[in-house]
Amino acid sequence: MVTANPIAEATVPTEALEPPWRFNLFARWPWLKRLVRMRSFQFLVILPNLFMFYLFIISALFGTPVGNRNIIIVFVWILWWFMLIAVLVPFGSRIWCTICPLPFFGDWIQRRAVIRVRTGKSPGTENSFFGLHKRWPKRLSNIWLQNFGFLFLATFSALLVTRPIVSAAVFGILFLVATVLALVFRLRTFCNYVCPISGFLSLYAMTATVELRSVDKDECLKCKSKACIRGSDKGWACPWNVYMGKLDRNNYCGLCFECVKSCPNDNISLFVRPFATSDVVVRGYDEVWKACIMLVLALTYSVMLLGPWGRFKDWANVSEARNWAGFGLFAAGQALLALVIFPGLYYVSIRLAKWYARADSVPTKELFLKYAYMLVPMGLLAWIAFSVPLLMVNGAYIISVASDPLGWGMNLFGTADFPWTPLRPHWVPFLQVPILLTGLYYGLRGLHKVGRRIFTDPAQLHRSLVPPAALLVGVTLVFLKLFIG
Amino acid sequence: MAGVVAVVLVLVGLPLVLWHWRHVTSVHRYPPGTKMVTLTAVAKGGVWTRDDIVGLTYWWRKPTRIGDVPLNQGDHVVVRLRSADVLHSFAIPLLRLGPVDIPAGHTVDVEFDAKRPGMLTFLCWQVCSPEHPGLHGRFVVKGNEQEETW
Repeated sequence: MVTANPIAEATVPTEALEPPWRFNLFARWPWLKRLVRMRSFQFLVILPNLFMFYLFIISALFGTPVGNRNIIIVFVWILWWFMLIAVLVPFGSRIWCTICPLPFFGDWIQRRAVIRVRTGKSPGTENSFFGLHKRWPKRLSNIWLQNFGFLFLATFSALLVTRPIVSAAVFGILFLVATVLALVFRLRTFCNYVCPISGFLSLYAMTATVELRSVDKDECLKCKSKACIRGSDKGWACPWNVYMGKLDRNNYCGLCFECVKSCPNDNISLFVRPFATSDVVVRGYDEVWKACIMLVLALTYSVMLLGPWGRFKDWANVSEARNWAGFGLFAAGQALLALVIFPGLYYVSIRLAKWYARADSVPTKELFLKYAYMLVPMGLLAWIAFSVPLLMVNGAYIISVASDPLGWGMNLFGTADFPWTPLRPHWVPFLQVPILLTGLYYGLRGLHKVGRRIFTDPAQLHRSLVPPAALLVGVTLVFLKLFIG
Repeated sequence: MAGVVAVVLVLVGLPLVLWHWRHVTSVHRYPPGTKMVTLTAVAKGGVWTRDDIVGLTYWWRKPTRIGDVPLNQGDHVVVRLRSADVLHSFAIPLLRLGPVDIPAGHTVDVEFDAKRPGMLTFLCWQVCSPEHPGLHGRFVVKGNEQEETW
């Protein structure tokens, strides 16, 4: 998945290629390095999560069907979602994947171990894996499946985020699919190519303030064992099939830290870096469409879940409203907007950019892919702006549900009767506006940074930025209109 | 091995703990001899039911409408009230008991003593759905002296 870009590197001034500052966390905090090098580290961080997911599924099946009194709805779609999009991703990259329980059983069966490492010879690795070791089809070795999977789930989101049984069904299916795929295909195929959560994590992890990288790329070139990707007696082969010597983006590194354990040269470290300034390269149409889909969904979710239009809510709430024609309109409209209309608008902006900048020598494909980065920080911050009122208005349910997770009448912490209390709802617009404007700033900044890698002539560069920047500003205005009227 | 044991403990232990709470702990918080009656109000169909309405069954299983609930004179009764969907309430007008709100998804316990034989009608006091008028039932308290003739 990691390739060089000779076109950009041949035309760009050297200073534009220099990465921003970064700070070696393992060097500063040796205890952190010792912690992640423990064989039991991943198991210890996954086990509590496994317990919680198990509790969620039991609660959905045998607890109350009322969403705001069932822990699966409140803890997953209010607490976890907010933490994921507003904290874990921007500050921890794919740290959720470190502790995600979905691949646990698949890994257990593949490795025939929960903690220890098995050496041996499985295709492409120095470890012994159980399973059929099939290669995932090359045609599907991208995030298109994840794009469509997430869009499909989003179509039913009104049911998914309010009905405990629907959430349990989805998680149960994901657990099952992850386990079956681990038996058939190599490594963590589910995480790489199928998991709908992984899809958007891969995109927004580009903005994150941490990265796991090799300290000295020359050491990787000299390394003969390539234990980071092939594994060794100290660590499993990278479940994400990533070679650290060439890793230059966060997208497909799941932060499992196996490479930190297996690297024979102690050449891998965790770095802190500035937000949304490093991984600015979008490499494929699948990633561009993911950026478009996520931005459009932030908009439609805001309309459907936060907006005052009851008609749209009824259209989405098909299992109760039974308005199938309305649901069809909603589903088709959302899909059309995400897959055709918005990508089409973005394409028009790129064509205009080429025309205005008289950039006939720059391939349209290159500009289309590279400038799409501007949608990444914008999309992330739009989702954060959407999630803020979700937490502030509904967060009180977390307190009551913590004491009575199944709605059975428990009162574990004495807070089961804590009333629904929106937290300063009048502050919401004052939080959403700066968040959106921050997304616009980083989107435009990223656009400029990417543009400098393509155009050496400043005048041509700035002309090429105008149409996509106008699109980004337009998107921001739409969100502002939606959030503050 | 320790890891496997930990996982098995989680998979087996959690359901056991929950089962114990539901069937032992929550029942035994009341004195021995207490008669526990669990009633769930379902707006869909306007039904009081003794069925367990949970996430797995709510959407497809039609709950059984409660018939008369037999009690004995002298019983100390705890009615464990649940709402499967919306805000309901519970009242026994003859005893001037309630109305007690049962918020959606909550469990509320109400206690009374069945001191005299007869019929005690209970109903939902909160207009909860178009089927709200169907939300009523009866406790039938059997007198001690009438036991053989019942």
